[in-house]
Amino acid sequence: MVLPPTAMLVVTLLTLPLATATLLFASGRQPRTLTLAAALLSTCAALALGLNVHLEGVSVHAIGGWEAPLGIHWQVTVPGAVMLLATAMVGLAGAVYGAGYFVHRPGPEGRMARVFMPLWLFAWGGLNALFVAADLFNLYVALEVLTLASVALVALSARRTALQAAMRYLLAALFGSVIYLLGVALLYGQYGILDLDGLTSKLDPKHPGSRAGAVALTIGLLTKAAIFPLHFWLPGAHGRAEPPVSALLSGLVVAAAFYLLLRLWFGPLAGLLTFGVGTLFGAIGAGALLWGGVLALMQRRLKMMVAYSTVSQFGFAMLVFPLALAADREPVVTGGTLLLANHALAKAALFLAAGSLVRASGSDRIDRLVGFTGSSRWAWIAVILAAAALIGVPPTLGFSAKWLLLQVAVAEGAWWWLGAMLGGTLLTFAYLGRLLERALLAPAPAPHPPKLKIALLLPALLLALLACVMGLWAFDVETFARLEPGP
Amino acid sequence: MHPAEALFDALLLLSMVVLAWQGVHARNMFRAVVSFMMFGLLTAVAWVRLEAPDIALAEAALGAGLTGALLLATLGRLKPERRGARLQRAAKLSMLPWLALGLAGTMTLLAVTLALPAPGLGERVLSAMPEAGVDSPVTAVLLNFRAWDTLLEIAVMLLAVIAIWSLGQDVLASTSRLPAPSLPALVRLLFPLLVLSTFYLLWRGGHGPGGAFPAGALLAAGLVLALLAGARVPERMTGAPLRCALAAGLLAFIIIAVGVMAEGGVFFAYPPRHAPMLIAIVEIAAGLSIGVMLTALFLGGEPTDTQGGST
Repeated sequence: MVLPPTAMLVVTLLTLPLATATLLFASGRQPRTLTLAAALLSTCAALALGLNVHLEGVSVHAIGGWEAPLGIHWQVTVPGAVMLLATAMVGLAGAVYGAGYFVHRPGPEGRMARVFMPLWLFAWGGLNALFVAADLFNLYVALEVLTLASVALVALSARRTALQAAMRYLLAALFGSVIYLLGVALLYGQYGILDLDGLTSKLDPKHPGSRAGAVALTIGLLTKAAIFPLHFWLPGAHGRAEPPVSALLSGLVVAAAFYLLLRLWFGPLAGLLTFGVGTLFGAIGAGALLWGGVLALMQRRLKMMVAYSTVSQFGFAMLVFPLALAADREPVVTGGTLLLANHALAKAALFLAAGSLVRASGSDRIDRLVGFTGSSRWAWIAVILAAAALIGVPPTLGFSAKWLLLQVAVAEGAWWWLGAMLGGTLLTFAYLGRLLERALLAPAPAPHPPKLKIALLLPALLLALLACVMGLWAFDVETFARLEPGP
Repeated sequence: MHPAEALFDALLLLSMVVLAWQGVHARNMFRAVVSFMMFGLLTAVAWVRLEAPDIALAEAALGAGLTGALLLATLGRLKPERRGARLQRAAKLSMLPWLALGLAGTMTLLAVTLALPAPGLGERVLSAMPEAGVDSPVTAVLLNFRAWDTLLEIAVMLLAVIAIWSLGQDVLASTSRLPAPSLPALVRLLFPLLVLSTFYLLWRGGHGPGGAFPAGALLAAGLVLALLAGARVPERMTGAPLRCALAAGLLAFIIIAVGVMAEGGVFFAYPPRHAPMLIAIVEIAAGLSIGVMLTALFLGGEPTDTQGGST
């Protein structure tokens, strides 16, 4: 089989969601076949791209034929390709789920169904643009596309609580954008270029401009990634949005900001990653693990618990920075990327399944959820699989990621970070176990829970299954050996 | 620098700081909004002093004009007792640490910024100009060298419209128009001029300051003025025609970016002989869409059409 060239696939991944979203908006109609076809085609393009990267390695594409630093480059890196694949999976699953979840009918009641798909595709296009971008300013614009689409998606239900959460999210995200942009301006003022490769070779850690720029970029991205203690906006936004929206936001949108943080600190800013900086990041991560985990344990509402779990899980991700201090950085980057991919699939599955359970139960109080009966059984199976992946039970993707990082920690003798990882895993086990125990051992009496459509069950189930199965494939670590693009 | 210029700059800076302070600490909201608008105007002047006329044009139209109109319209929708209300004042003592932090941050930033060598990409842009297909370096950067950024920015604007429209219907209908008897006559005089200037700026964008963003902002200023004077979106324009006008800029951009791949196979690589025409098409489509998008933001929701029930 001859695969289309990588450049064509990148163009498809970027323009197809944007063009479809724009057409949907312009026509004012949402033909389900067209939107699902676009989603399916984008997913196929991402799969083909992943295969291309696997076979031919990473690649660079100059947009418009203008070489950097004058023009903008796209870079298809291995972590980027992994995130593109995760985006495609969650994107497709959410599109199918959304088609089943939002009722199509004329008039104001059908508003959500009409608005959801264009916004979903815009967010998808923004994510794709971000994962191939290799230019500080281009990354900023991609982040903005993503942010605006996400804010609109949070506000989708137009309920008072959702609007308040969306407003708070908007302000936090815009604050993050402005600070990030300040960092871009400082680095541009110091070096006169914006492309990441050029900055990597030019950046001198001793310049005050690089330090100030790095601080600004990092604070901006930490806000957007909702890393403790800048997570204040996340639980409301993710807990009060509609289920497919929460899945995208928790699984990918915060992950995209974190991915960028990884990309910068293991790229242009690598020279600035000193012991102090790494330890600070690690301390933040440990704090996030603890705070998010304890609050998740205390939640009474299902979706709020899952939202706090995101705060906690990104604490894990922050631990890659101290681990990268002494050791070879490649396994750390691989572990971090796999952690993000695992979280994307498992958390999206968890939110989608949670949405189905809430719909079946008529309440999102954990103690009022329906038990393991009827069609809800499949949603519970998805929850159990996703929980296994989040905890890191072998052979899930979560296990591969944590195993890689644990190995590094042991090899380095980084016992503090090892302890943080184990403690975080225990907390994850505790709050997810509490959910399963409450709901499965002492279910609320619900004589006839409504039957759930297959569109509300299958996407979550497949995503969770994927998170579990991909762990086997991910042990072929050679695939992930290189972060930087080759010749 | 001439002493008079230095004096002018110092006065400009001082007024900007005073206006910014007033914008945040004014006694009532109306005053705050007016300070903010004046701050926008002075920022435009500052851009002129920094020899960036393109940004000055956009800043004047957006920062002072359109944002001001939006804020005033919002003010008009507040309950009268809140409109004149004093802004809440934070307790003075609790502000001190923040003030100190802000001051320290600003001073650090100032020190760092002053030490920046700021080489920039200006020379590279100038040396690539012969192949750019336009004469204005700013337009070359926006629509050729970094056209992908601009495409995404237009997507951001369209998203802003979709986001605001998704929240509900046209709020302008419930807003009383400005109580200014002379406004309709003034608008009748100004509107054609503003539309004419829009096209002038679009045409001028090829070789001087101007282009899609300032032109769109001017068009929006004309349309918003007309709305303030009592004009309504004509019924046959609501629904699909309006949405198509909003989407046209982004769609044209995407079609051309992908279309040029037929020749050469590179995304956004305009073939040299068609480059001026293609860039002009993008510029006009984007400029008009930007104008309509900014106006749509001001409308605050999709104008209701007779069929009822759209987005």
